[in-house]
Amino acid sequence: MSALAATRPDSWELPLFLHVLGAMVLVGALVLAFTSLAGAGRAGSGTALRVGYRALLLASIPAWIVMRVAAQWLADEENVADLDAAWINLGYSTSESSLVFLIAATVCAGIAARRVRAEKGEGSGLALAASILIGIVLLAYAVTIWAMATKPT
Amino acid sequence: MYDTLLFLHLLAAFLVVITAVTYSAVALGADTGGRSLTVANICWDVGGLGTLILGIWLALDVDGYEVWDGWILGAIVVWAFATESGRRARAEFESGEGAGRASLMHWLRTGLVILLLVLMVWKPGA
Repeated sequence: MSALAATRPDSWELPLFLHVLGAMVLVGALVLAFTSLAGAGRAGSGTALRVGYRALLLASIPAWIVMRVAAQWLADEENVADLDAAWINLGYSTSESSLVFLIAATVCAGIAARRVRAEKGEGSGLALAASILIGIVLLAYAVTIWAMATKPT
Repeated sequence: MYDTLLFLHLLAAFLVVITAVTYSAVALGADTGGRSLTVANICWDVGGLGTLILGIWLALDVDGYEVWDGWILGAIVVWAFATESGRRARAEFESGEGAGRASLMHWLRTGLVILLLVLMVWKPGA
């Protein structure tokens, strides 16, 4: 594995860069959304709800798209798209199922922020729901990062 | 050993980017509050040190890499500049003075973090 790391073909490098960058920004935005929404859930803070909602909508989802498109590009370059390997299957299943969680968390955070703005309630239940969804996604991503780095068979 | 080191090095790099993303939100005008900035600062402290130590350990462990390879030395220099610009951004955001300069330092750090990722992927000269 260590020798392979030193001899990667040039054509893999741009998709690998975009895949890793997209994944890093995705995780960064999710942590920002999580800390904002978890705090907002307790304090009923409209500002924190808006930050959490925008982190999901404007950063997490675009970063997910970059990560996923680059992953497919990289898999095609490496000819592993159809390979039945545990780490690839985990990558596909985690990325695709996490999009559903991301969309659900974004909708929850958006409705919570709108409710607070319209003074129709605290939105703390929805903020908590969004936080839980994001927490689940972050745990799944931690396992996926381990699988991508170690490539277990 | 290699797999574990690579995983931890990558995890540390993710922590560094959590800091860059949070400070980017602040630099763009978001009121993220103290909790998010505290988490971001801890992520930089742990991730910054982790990337450096584990990166050097990886360079010693991997056949074909040496710590004195140009791209590794370059990455260490870029890491040092990123750490210093991050320290200045943090101090100026916390003091509440010179928001423009704090943002400038933050964007400089973010650019350097992206440059680190470029060096790690392309490994020029390797």
